[in-house]
Amino acid sequence: MAEPEVAPEALPVSSALAASPQVLIAASLFVALLAIAISLWLRRKSQSRGNTILFVGPPDAGKTAVLSTLVYRQTLPSHTSLQTNTSVLTLLNNKTVTLVDVPGHPRIRDQLLDHLSDAKAVIFVVDASTVSRNGAAVAEHLHKVLHAITSLPPSHTPPALLILAHKSDLLKTGAASAAAVPDQLAINRVRTVLERELEKRRVSQSGAVGIEGLGADGEESSEGAGLECNGPSGGSFKFAEWEGGEVEFLGTSVAVGEKVSAEEKSGGKGISELSQWLEELP
Amino acid sequence: MLDHCSIFHKGGLVLWSRSFTPAASQLAASSASPINWLIRDALIEGRAAEEKYEKDGYAVKWTFVNDLELIFVVAYQRILQLTYVEDLLASLKTVFVKLFQPFLTTFVASLHAVNNRAVGTVNGSAELTTWNFAKAFEGWDTVFDQLLKRLEGEAAADRKARLRSVPRIAIDSESPGSSDVDTAPTESPNMAQDEQQIARNVQALKNRLRGRGGRRGGRGMARTDSGSGRESYPNSDSDSTLKKKPKKVQRKWENGSITESDMASLDYSSDKPNDTDAQNRGSLNVNALVDEASLGTRTKDGLYEVKDWDFGKNTGDADAVISEALNATSKVPATSGSMGALGSIFARLTGSKVLSEDDLKPVLEAMKQHLMKKNVAKDISEKVCEGVGESLVGKKVGGFQTTNAAVRQALSNSITRILTPKTSTDLLLSIRTKLSSPLSSTQQRLPYSITFVGVNGVGKSTNLSKVCFWLIQNGFRVLIAACDTFRSGAVEQLRVHVRNLGMLGMNGAGDSKGRVELYERGYGKDAAGIAKEAIAYGRDNDFDVVLIDTAGRMQDNEPLMRALAKLVSVNNPDKILFVGEALVGNEAVDQLTKFDRALRDFSSSGAVGKGRGIDGMLVTKWDTVDDKVGAALSMTYVTGQPIVFVGTGQTYTDLRQLRVANVVSAILSD
Repeated sequence: MAEPEVAPEALPVSSALAASPQVLIAASLFVALLAIAISLWLRRKSQSRGNTILFVGPPDAGKTAVLSTLVYRQTLPSHTSLQTNTSVLTLLNNKTVTLVDVPGHPRIRDQLLDHLSDAKAVIFVVDASTVSRNGAAVAEHLHKVLHAITSLPPSHTPPALLILAHKSDLLKTGAASAAAVPDQLAINRVRTVLERELEKRRVSQSGAVGIEGLGADGEESSEGAGLECNGPSGGSFKFAEWEGGEVEFLGTSVAVGEKVSAEEKSGGKGISELSQWLEELP
Repeated sequence: MLDHCSIFHKGGLVLWSRSFTPAASQLAASSASPINWLIRDALIEGRAAEEKYEKDGYAVKWTFVNDLELIFVVAYQRILQLTYVEDLLASLKTVFVKLFQPFLTTFVASLHAVNNRAVGTVNGSAELTTWNFAKAFEGWDTVFDQLLKRLEGEAAADRKARLRSVPRIAIDSESPGSSDVDTAPTESPNMAQDEQQIARNVQALKNRLRGRGGRRGGRGMARTDSGSGRESYPNSDSDSTLKKKPKKVQRKWENGSITESDMASLDYSSDKPNDTDAQNRGSLNVNALVDEASLGTRTKDGLYEVKDWDFGKNTGDADAVISEALNATSKVPATSGSMGALGSIFARLTGSKVLSEDDLKPVLEAMKQHLMKKNVAKDISEKVCEGVGESLVGKKVGGFQTTNAAVRQALSNSITRILTPKTSTDLLLSIRTKLSSPLSSTQQRLPYSITFVGVNGVGKSTNLSKVCFWLIQNGFRVLIAACDTFRSGAVEQLRVHVRNLGMLGMNGAGDSKGRVELYERGYGKDAAGIAKEAIAYGRDNDFDVVLIDTAGRMQDNEPLMRALAKLVSVNNPDKILFVGEALVGNEAVDQLTKFDRALRDFSSSGAVGKGRGIDGMLVTKWDTVDDKVGAALSMTYVTGQPIVFVGTGQTYTDLRQLRVANVVSAILSD
């Protein structure tokens, strides 16, 4: 079926072009120039923006789910991501931001660096229900992110950093703390675990003799940096005293297959706080 | 049969999925689903060209649609030999893309919203409400069912055709048992009914085509029964018991031996015109089994046509699409070929050039040769290039990017992925974590132990001493266990190293006597025992790290490999480093696979189940290979483990960490 439809369409085009090679050359030159102009224009346009919101974090933390909830107003089921998702979100005040969801797999998470330079905010998504089990791995990832933020050139305004204690609904609340809001509980747990693990990393790397990178020319700063703190706690790592800037925390949860309606249910606040945080970003 | 089927975007969002068993649907929802493992272990590591992936008793097969960035995955129990899965994937791919192309294009564009055009499509407030995925893919369930049914039917028919050639008895015993034509219990009852009806239609069609037009004999009936599988069983069974009460006495239910006459009476697979009972039964059941409403139409030539399946409003053409997909997959390249070279140039200029397998073949071949020139093992370069090809076929190359450049870019990405470690390579941190981990009061702190393994003469002892030097610089007390009790001079070599290291001092200040010691028990002893004693000695004398030097051995020497596995299982070291030289070519694959497998197989004697494999690699003699650093790629590809250190010279400070970007550029440089 498809063939007879295509053939008559293709034939006149090729025969007309073949008849006059000059026309072909001229046309192709014109198209080429047009393409260059358009691509340059688009590139300039996209670079001048710098209002990207980056979603980073370990795999299975829920980055893609949060992105789909924000963009499609419903939480689609998701698998481990293989590549970066980029979507545009229109906020209530008619501003648009670009949301970039960087996969969390260790082998591809370095794609973060490609997007960091035009990031307005970095949202580090953590699975609050499993963070106490794999805290070390999460901290390693967060360390990389912190390091990347602090090693941005000083002229660059550092992006706001938000740590999202996601899946707060899966957190098992003990009888004693049942009264506490699950979001708050999730935030506390994530903060405690990450501070402990990052402190471990900081201690281990301070004063350690590292191994030179192969063929490193010295322009690359050491991997260990990025955890400097100054404050009353004597240099030990606290998010409140981190030198790279302010760190905020939020607790969220989404339910797969659910549609986000205007009126949120009473139980969990879902991601409404996150949407609000995005609205309030300068 | 199938356990799970899923269609998802490369970014992770699932467009459609279905689990066929409750266990599978539970598993699919968790992060440990076989599909997630497939992505993490195979697709991200550049193994996309492999045929299937197995994990936890599941076999997973997949296929890509690169221009829409979709992945189609089917998971099933590994023990089943499902022959139709590949056909199913291929036809799912074609049909799904055909049916939902416009929606999918918008969807993918919304995930690549970098330019204004995409902003426009996603932006409008009206657009937001139209992201109704359930509605967009409605009807697909039915199409999927039909497709699956058809392929399963074909597979079953295939099997039957093969069985028919063997003696009759085999058929008799087989046809009642062929209920595996049936899908696993599906989730909704009305779906089951659909399948039943489809099966009937298919069966009716088959019978017509076989030239048995007109009245259906007993044979057609019996086949329909067995063909429609489990769902139809209770139905037809009750029918027949109602209709022929007197016959019921003859039925024998015991499991005793089957006599010839039993077989004959149970044999409905051939025409028995004399058997009036069967004839009656047949005519009675025909009405029950062929639903008047869904009866097909008869064309002028007398050909019976199955009625089009009612998919709902928008999918009326699904049947046509399916049949087209099933028998005309080879047409696709032909249409692009008709455009000719001029058309392809034009397409490239307008930025819509779609890469075909033929375009890629020469470029990939050249890339493969290039990788092999860089000392990447042959198998590995083939697999890497296949994986790259897999991810590029069907992709559009924009603007002025040549095929060559696109392949180069994809290859560079793929190599970077393979080389980037997936586990932490921070040895210092893991040593410190172990040393500071809380202990119960009865336990004594064990030192962190690292075992160096490898073939002969790759530099295990030399690089062990370099690692030792580095650890001393970081303030650890290190014990070296001389477990090479075979090669003469091995212990003396280590003794010299320990003496040197003791005199070198830490951070340039003072000597580091007491920071490093050698634990030796001479030659000819059992290495596993010496290592155990060394760890005990280290524990009692407050050492932080024990470095275990083992004798070099060829990977094929099973007694020696067993001895090594014993050392590992007895002492359970924290890290097992494989030492390999950068000079190695094709041999790297063999060495690593065999070391890894031997360690896993032979050290898994305990109840722990899976044995330990290699945790990381140390590549030595890096300074001798210039930019032919392919061994690094081969090694990481084979094991999936990171290269922890690189040895680059003869002095204690010649130990480096791998920089992925450097290696990638070295491999790709001309």
